[in-house]
This record gives sequence, structure tokens and C-alpha cells, in this order.
Amino acid sequence: MTRALFRTLFCALAALAGLGLSAQQTEVVLSATSGSKLVLAVAPPKLTGLDEATVARDFTGVLQRDLDETGVFGLLTEKLPTATDPSSYKAWKEAGAQWLLVTRLTKSASGEIQLEASAIDTNAEKAVFTKPYKADRLVPLRRLAHALSDDLVFQLTGVRGVASSRIVFVRQLSPGVKEIFQVDRDGANLLQLTRNGSLSLSPSVASDGRLAYVTYKGGAPAIWGQRTVGGAQVKLYEAAGGGMVSSPAWSPDGKRLAFVQGDRRGNTDIMVLDPASGHVRRLTDGSGINTEPSWNPDGTQMAFTSDREGGPQVFLMQSDGSNLRRLTSEGTYNASPAWSPNGAMIAYVSRFEGKFDLFIYKLGEGKAYQITTGVNTSESPAWSPDERRLVFTSNRFGSMQLFTTDLSGRQVVRLSDLSNCQSPAWTRAR
Amino acid sequence: MRPSRLIPIATLALLMGTVACQKPAPAPTGPSQAELDAAKKAADEEAARKAAAEEAARKAAAEAAAKKAAEEAAAKKAAEEAAAAAFQAAANKALVNIHFDFDKSDIKEGDRALLQGIADFMKAYPQAKVEIQGHCDERGTNEYNLALGNRRAAAALSYLKTLGVDEARFTTISFGKEKPLCTEAKEACWSQNRRDEFHLK
Repeated sequence: MTRALFRTLFCALAALAGLGLSAQQTEVVLSATSGSKLVLAVAPPKLTGLDEATVARDFTGVLQRDLDETGVFGLLTEKLPTATDPSSYKAWKEAGAQWLLVTRLTKSASGEIQLEASAIDTNAEKAVFTKPYKADRLVPLRRLAHALSDDLVFQLTGVRGVASSRIVFVRQLSPGVKEIFQVDRDGANLLQLTRNGSLSLSPSVASDGRLAYVTYKGGAPAIWGQRTVGGAQVKLYEAAGGGMVSSPAWSPDGKRLAFVQGDRRGNTDIMVLDPASGHVRRLTDGSGINTEPSWNPDGTQMAFTSDREGGPQVFLMQSDGSNLRRLTSEGTYNASPAWSPNGAMIAYVSRFEGKFDLFIYKLGEGKAYQITTGVNTSESPAWSPDERRLVFTSNRFGSMQLFTTDLSGRQVVRLSDLSNCQSPAWTRAR
Repeated sequence: MRPSRLIPIATLALLMGTVACQKPAPAPTGPSQAELDAAKKAADEEAARKAAAEEAARKAAAEAAAKKAAEEAAAKKAAEEAAAAAFQAAANKALVNIHFDFDKSDIKEGDRALLQGIADFMKAYPQAKVEIQGHCDERGTNEYNLALGNRRAAAALSYLKTLGVDEARFTTISFGKEKPLCTEAKEACWSQNRRDEFHLK
């Protein structure tokens, strides 16, 4: 073989290896940790047929919060120029805004709302985004704000934002009564999803919006959920003899439901249910505690919690139960794994001196990063659908409440002042 | 012949005898109509008296029987209620909580006597069925604690089995940290929450 041919082969292999490496892990172009946010200024909307106070509360305020939590925009809120015509773009640029968002809101006599939005690149002095929105009189202004924010994020990154998304969670109404609720990402529009009058726990939302959860309303715990989008909640699975079931988790394609079943000897195992056929398969080996299954994005693997080597730790396995290996190595109690939407990270919690903090394990690096460092406990992490934030629960203000954080842990926002919340899930589906 | 019949018959017989033994008179005269009516009236009154007396006796006997039955039923009910009360009292005494160390599901030395008391109760009352509920304090994840609670219930079940109670008489259920007895963030509360509860089914 000639040296030239050998060199060509070597280069080809290196190129292939390089491709393989970058294919494993999706690059987050504008991660919060890099601090490279695009500075955007929201000019006060021009209004026809709407009063300023309502718009400030239900549109502008909502939009600013949406944009502030995108992780890709930094909001300029001080020393804003007043004019928004083309001759003012230079002033906006000098004030620090890279994009100027100009909006006009019009409410017609029939109550229909029209929004015209333009994002102007103040350096190029031209619009990089222009879109009209229409909403009939029943659509709240905040819905328009969410749509605009999501479109702006798409314009910048190629991925829709999550301003229009919702959180599904558990809330205690009274001792022994916990129900499943949903709320908008910014805490508005609270809606009760179950009325079981008992403990209803551990909601999982499929990508098409179907709910699954565990309820004790029949005395013993059973898994209930929706077989069809928007359909009634029905019993999906009950263990023989009313045995313990918990922790349901829809597969990414929504066709399988992982869950946990416990026996009378004290062991709990990861199971997978095929709701269509009712067939159930056991994945773990029947000794010790195995719980909290979390699927990877293509449904080929699961992360889960197991005490097979002492205290609880995070383990991984193929979705048929094979290739079981341990992920976490630091600390005596690591649990609640949540595999990120793009597959490169696993969020989890680690207990130290009786309290939990959020961690993120980056699979490509093989390294874990601590996200929260508080005196109080932070539990139950779940990913935003765009992988930029985590929703979790914390009692830093008293009872357990819902919070979101960026992945650096520096931008923590309380989602709602509702008390006694737990087990949030974050979904785009409405 | 009954004395009560004897008198009217005797009277009649006497009358007839009086009639029969008289010298043949020119025209035989039997008892007069008035005498016959009187005798009949006396006989009827006697019969009525007898019937009334029998009726009274029958009534008295029935009342006595009913009273006896009611007393027996009341006694039975009282006995059942007493038995139920005794059963409930025994259950209340025996079915007390046992507790666990942090993160553990081992049966503690000091709880063995309590479990013996439960076993004794189960043996004394063969009809009793009990649910064992496992609970945890707040210092674990919701899901892991449901599993730990299941393990704590299983530990009690296993121990009771070794004490000779049929395990089919028990169900187990875990509530994890979902139903705490108290919510203060300190050991005095946490130790109360790390428990098994035993409930009559």
C-alpha cells in the first residue's frame, strides 16, 4: 500500500471519527452559560381600541417575561429612546439594543385583535422579522405575546421557544387529597385535570398531550391515563392483588408506558406496559429498589434510580433491560434522573445532609455540574421542551413551590406562588 | 268427668230422677221450661267462663314466650356488641405504629414486642384482616420513598409471618412521604413519619 493511500485512509477515518463525535451531542448554540444573549428592546406597543394598562399587564409584561426566560435574549429596559421610526434605529443601537421590537395592537369593533410585529436589526437598520397575528375576541392577549416570543426565538435559533408551553404537576388540596393540575409556563391559567378526591401522583405527559398518573382512589394504587388525545381518563394498569405501582413514564413515541411495580417482599422493578395490548414486561431483576424510569429521546435507553449497590444511584440500561451500568459516582444518594430532550444531558438530584440539589450530568463530558446550592431542598427536575431550562420544586419560600432555572442555575424564577406542589412535567402539547 | 260439667248434669239428672222416681201421677210433669232455661244459661255461662280462661291462659303463654324471645335476642345483641367492642378494643390496643431508622426498613429491637402483640391479636381473632401501610419522612424523593414505604410494609409482613400469622390475612400498601403525620423539618417529626401503620380491613 502506498503512503499516499494510507494517508488518505487515515484522514478519512479521522474525519469520520470527528463526525461521529459531534453527532453524539447536540451543540446548544446559545447556552445560557456562554452569556452570549442577543440584546433586545421592546418598544411600547402602538394601540388602537385598547387601553394602556390592560396591554401593559396582559401583553407587554407577559412578552417581556417570556423573552427574559428564553435564554437567548437579554432585555434592555433602561434609557430607551422613545421614537421607533427608521431614523431612530441608530439611537436604539447606541442604547445597547441589537434588536428593536416594534408592535402595533389593534382591537376592532367586533373585538377581534390584530398584532403587527417587527424585529429590527439596529445595526443593519432593517427588519429581520415581520409577522401579522390575528386573534378572535376570546383569545387572551397573553396568548399573542407567547406566540410572538416563540416566533422570535425560532427566528434567532431555528427552534421554537416554549413560551406557549404548560407545566403539569401535583398539588395537595388537603391532607390525603392530591390532584393533577396544569398551568401556563408563566403561572397563568391554572386548570385542574383530575378530581379523584384521593392521592393522585406522578403525572407523565406524552408528546401528543396524553396524561398518565397514579391514583389511590380505588384504595390500592393504580395507573390511570388517556388512551386517546383529549379522551377520558381510564384505568390503564393495576397490579394483581392491588400491589404497589408508581412512577409512570410515557416513551417518546407515546406507545409504551414505563412504570414501577413493587412486590410483597419489598422489591420494586421497572416495567413496560403496551397499553394497546395490555402486555407488561419486567426489565429489572427483582431484587432491591428500582424506580424513576426516564427514557432517552429515541426510546432506546432508560435512566433510573436503583439501590443495588448501596444507597440510591442513577443507572442506565437499554430499553429491553440489557447493558445495565451506573452513571453517578459522587455522593450517597442520587436520584430522579431526567434525560434531556436532545439526549446529551441527564438532570438529577443529589442529597446532602437531608436536602437535595439539582445536578446536570453531561454525557459527552462524563461530568456532573451542580445547579442549585441552597439551604433548602430542590427536587423533581423536568426539562423544558427546548432543553434550555428545568422546572423543579423548592421550599425556599416556605412550602414546596414550582420554580424554573436556566442550566447555569443563575436565573431562577418562581413560576407560581401556589403551595404544596410536587412532581412537575413540562410539555408543549395543549 | 269434669266437675264443671258435673253440676249441671247432676242437676239435670236429679231433676230427671225426681221426675222418674215420682209415683205415677195422673199427668207426668218434667222440669219446667224456666228450670231448663236456667240450667242451659248456667251451662253456657260456665262454657264462656272456661273459654275466656283458656284464652287468657293462651295469651299469657304467648306473651311469656315473646318476652323470653326478646330477652334472648337482646342478650344475644348485647353479647355481639360486647364482642365487637372487645374486638375493637383489642385491635386498638394491638394495632399500633412501629417505626424505622432513617433510610432503613429493618424491624427495630424495641418494636418486636409490638409486633408480637399484633400477632397475638390476629391469632385471638381469626376473622381479622389487616392492611400494613408503609410511610417515610420527607428526606427522600417522592418515588424512592414510595418504594421505601413498600419495603417497610414488607418488613413487617415478613416478621409477622415468622410469628406464625398467615400472610394472606394482610395486604400491604405504601404511601411514601405522601401522608405525613406532621410537617416540621426536624427529627421529632421525621421520626414519627418513618412508620408502618396497621389498619383493620
